[in-house]
Amino acid sequence: MEGIVKRFGSVVALGGVDFDLRPGEIHGLLGENGAGKTTLMNVLYGLFPADAGTISFDGRPLRLRGPQDAIAAGIGMVHQHYMLVPTLTVAENTVLGERGGALLGRRSLEAVAARLRELGERYGLGVDPFARVWQLSVGEQQRVEILRALYRDARVLVLDEPTALLTPFEAEQLLPKLQTMAAEGASIVFITHHLEEVMAWTNRITVLRHGKHVATVRPQETSTNELARMMVGRDVTLVRLATGTAWQPGSADARREKPVAAPTPVLCAEGLEALGDRGTPALRDVSFLVAAGEIVAIAGVEGNGQSELEEVLLGIRTPDAGRVRLAGGDVTTLDTASRLKRGLGLVPSDRYRRGLIRELSVAHNLVFDRIGEAPFGTRFTLRKRSILARAVELIEQFSIRVSRPEQAAGTLSGGNAQRVVLARLLGRDLRCLIVAQPTRGLDVGAIEFVWEQLDAARNGGVAILLVSTDLDEVMALADRCHVIYEGRLVGEWARGEFDRERIGLAMGGVRADVRETDRPTALAKRDVR
Amino acid sequence: MTTVELALPHVSRRAGQIRTIGATLAAVALGLAAGSILIVIAGGRPWSTYRDMAGGAYGSLFGFGAVLVQTAPLLVIGLGLALAFRGRVYNIGAEGQFYIGALAGGAAVILLPLRLYPLLIALAMVAGIVGGGAWGWVVGKLRARWGVNEVISSLLLNYIGIFVFSYAVRNPLRDPEASSLASKAVPDGSRLPTFPHLFTHVGILVGLALVPLVWYVMDRTPFGFRVRMMGLNADAARVAGVDTSRMIVRLMVISGGLAGLAGIVQVLGVQGRLETTLSQGYGFTAIVVALLGRLRAVGVLLAALFVSGLIVGGQAASIDQGLPYAIVLGIQGVFVVFVLVADRFARA
Repeated sequence: MEGIVKRFGSVVALGGVDFDLRPGEIHGLLGENGAGKTTLMNVLYGLFPADAGTISFDGRPLRLRGPQDAIAAGIGMVHQHYMLVPTLTVAENTVLGERGGALLGRRSLEAVAARLRELGERYGLGVDPFARVWQLSVGEQQRVEILRALYRDARVLVLDEPTALLTPFEAEQLLPKLQTMAAEGASIVFITHHLEEVMAWTNRITVLRHGKHVATVRPQETSTNELARMMVGRDVTLVRLATGTAWQPGSADARREKPVAAPTPVLCAEGLEALGDRGTPALRDVSFLVAAGEIVAIAGVEGNGQSELEEVLLGIRTPDAGRVRLAGGDVTTLDTASRLKRGLGLVPSDRYRRGLIRELSVAHNLVFDRIGEAPFGTRFTLRKRSILARAVELIEQFSIRVSRPEQAAGTLSGGNAQRVVLARLLGRDLRCLIVAQPTRGLDVGAIEFVWEQLDAARNGGVAILLVSTDLDEVMALADRCHVIYEGRLVGEWARGEFDRERIGLAMGGVRADVRETDRPTALAKRDVR
Repeated sequence: MTTVELALPHVSRRAGQIRTIGATLAAVALGLAAGSILIVIAGGRPWSTYRDMAGGAYGSLFGFGAVLVQTAPLLVIGLGLALAFRGRVYNIGAEGQFYIGALAGGAAVILLPLRLYPLLIALAMVAGIVGGGAWGWVVGKLRARWGVNEVISSLLLNYIGIFVFSYAVRNPLRDPEASSLASKAVPDGSRLPTFPHLFTHVGILVGLALVPLVWYVMDRTPFGFRVRMMGLNADAARVAGVDTSRMIVRLMVISGGLAGLAGIVQVLGVQGRLETTLSQGYGFTAIVVALLGRLRAVGVLLAALFVSGLIVGGQAASIDQGLPYAIVLGIQGVFVVFVLVADRFARA
C-alpha cells in the first residue's frame, strides 16, 4: 500500500500512508486511538475506497470495489467486534455471504464442516462446526472468524485488536497459533495498542500517528519505551506497558506507607442478586466493601455481570436481593438522583453512550448532573453564566482540548471525552466513585492522565471501585482486587498478593486455588449481542 | 424508537440555528413544489391555486379570523407535543386527549349549576387539562412501568377516547331536542367572547400566552434541560440522575393536558356544545405543526399559523378552483416528509 489517503469530510484519517506486508510475517500495526490503524486496514479490505494511493498484491495492482474483491484476492479480516449471526451455526456463518451460500443444503454443509474441522486441527483452532454461535465464548467466536477467513483461502489475515476481548489466558493461547499460520506462509496484520504483544509476537512493527506513518521497525531493534514515544510523539512516564506493573505515582508510595487507621467503609454491597436484560441471572450474591481512600478493583472479562453491577450500584437497575449501602446509609431503594446527592459518581464503561451527550456542548456535559443546583441555577432557572464559568475552570484544570466550551461533545476524541466525564465527576463533592473500563480504547498519554486522576482522587479520600477487564490496570491501581466471573465474585487479593497468573486464570473461570487444564468453555455467553 | 427520527434541535448554536431555519424554509419550498404536482394531477393550476389559498387565508380579515380559529387548537396541542417530542416521548394520542379534555370540561360546564361564568370557564379549563392529562398519564404509566411503546398505546387510546366521548354525547349528555347528535348546549355566559370585527373567539389568546411559557420551560429551566437530555441520550440522562420513568409520565401528562385544554377551548369557543365533529383531526395535524415548528415554541406558533392557513386557504381554493379538499391533506403530508428529510441535511 502506497501513499494511502483517506478523508472523512474535513477530517484527514490517513495522510499518505505506506505499508508493506511480506509473505509469512506477522506485522504489528501500532498507534493511538484515531491514528488510522483500523481505517488503513478497512481500505485494504475494500470497506471504503482510498481517496489517493495504490494497493498492489503479489506485484499486481489491486482494485477493490468492496470486501468481495478483497476476499477474492485472498484478504481476510477479523474485526474487533465480530461479524457473526448468533442464531446460525458455525458452518452456516462460514458460508454466509458466499455466492449461492443460501442454497447450501445439509450435504454441502457437511463438506463445509469437514473442511472446518480439518483447518481447526491444523492450526489448533478447534470449534464444533454445528454449534450455534450464541453458545460460544468470545474466544471461540474469534476462532470462528479466523477459521472463516482461512476457509476462504485468505493469504493475508488482518486482526483488529484480537486480544481486546479475550482473557489473558485466551490471548496466550491465540498468539502461538498465529505463528503457526505465518509459518505456513500466511501474512498476518496484527492491530493493537498493547506494546508487549507486538514486541513478543511480531516480525515487524509499523507505528502510525495522526494518520501518518512514523516508522517500521523490527522488535529486536526497538523497545517498548521507544514504541510508546513513537505512538504518542513524546515521552511517556507510563512504564507499566513495558514491565507490567511498574507504574507508581510518587504520591501513592508515600501514602501506602502510612498505616491506615480503621478505614471507614463508604460503599458496601451485601448479597446483591440481579437479572440481566435477558432475564437470566447476572449477579449472584455479590458482596464487597470499598473504604475511603482505597481503590478496590473488580477484574473480569466483559459480560460477566459488570454492567449490571454498575447499574445496580447507581440505582438504574433494581436488584432482586441484597443491599447497597453508601456512606453508612442504606440506599437500596433510593433513586439515582438521591445517590448522586450522597456523593456517588459513575464513570460508565461506555462513555459515549452513557457518559456524554454528544449533541450537547462540552460546557453542558461538564455540569449536566448538577443542573438545577446552586450555583448553576435553582429549581426553575438556569444560570448560563455560572455553567460556562465552571466549564472553563474544569477545561483548564483537566486540560481538555476544545476550541470553545460550546463545542459539541460528540466531536471530542476518546481521551478528551474521558477527560470530560472525569472532570464532571471529580469536579463534584464526591465520596465514592465507580469507574468502569476507564481507559478502554485510550492511548497511552490519556491512560496516564486517567490513572493519575484516579490516584489523586483516592489520595483525596474518595472510595473508588474500579471495574476493569485490563489486568495491567488493576495491578497498577488497585489496593485490593476481586474477580467477577459469571456474576459471582471469586477470590480476593490484597495489593501485596497480586499474582498475575492466578487473577488471569480466575477471570477465565478457573478457581484461584485449583489449576485446571480443561477450563469451562462456555464463558460469557451473555456477551453475544 | 422505531418510528420517525424526530427533529431534535441543536442547543443554542447560531450556525446550527441558521441551518435549521434554512432547511425548514427549503422544506416548505420543496413541499409547495411537490404540492403543485398534486394540484396538476388533480386538474388544477398550481400558481393560481396557491394564490387563492394565500388570498383566502391571509387576504381578508374574515379569512384571517378563520385562520386564527384553526390556529388556537393546533398551537395549544402543538406546544405540548413539541415538549414531549423533545424528550423523545412520542405522543400520537393528542386527538383522544383532546376529546377527553373536551368531555371533562364540557361536562363540568353543562352539569355544574354555577352562574359565576368566569369561574365556570376556569373550572372547565382545569377539568379539560385534568381529563386530557389523565388520558396521557395512562400512556406514560404503561411505558414507564412495562415498557409499552407509547406510539401504539397513545394511538389506540385515541379511538377509545373518541368512543367514550361519543357515548357520553349520545347518552348521558345528549340533547333530546337537537336534531343532530350533540350534547346540550353550554350556558351562553360560559362561551368565550369573540374579538370585534374578527369573527374569532379569544381562545387563541390561551395559545399565545402559552408560547413564552413553554419557551421558558423548554429553554430556561432545569426541567426543560433534563427533557432535552433524555431526548438526546436517555442512558446518559439516567446516569446523571434523571428519573426517566417519571419524566415520561410527566411529559405525557403535560402534552395530554394541553391537548385537553385545546379541547375545552374548542367547545367553549366554537361549537358551544359537545359534538362528535368537534375536532377536524387537530390532534394529528398538531404533530405536523410540532415537527414543522422544529419543536421550538416560536416555531410551533409560526407552523400553526402556516398550517391553519393551508387548511383555510385550501378550503377557499378548493371552492374557487373546484379541487378536492384532499389535496390540502396531501400537501400537508408532503411537508412532513420534506421537513424530516431536510432535517438530515441540517445536521449533516
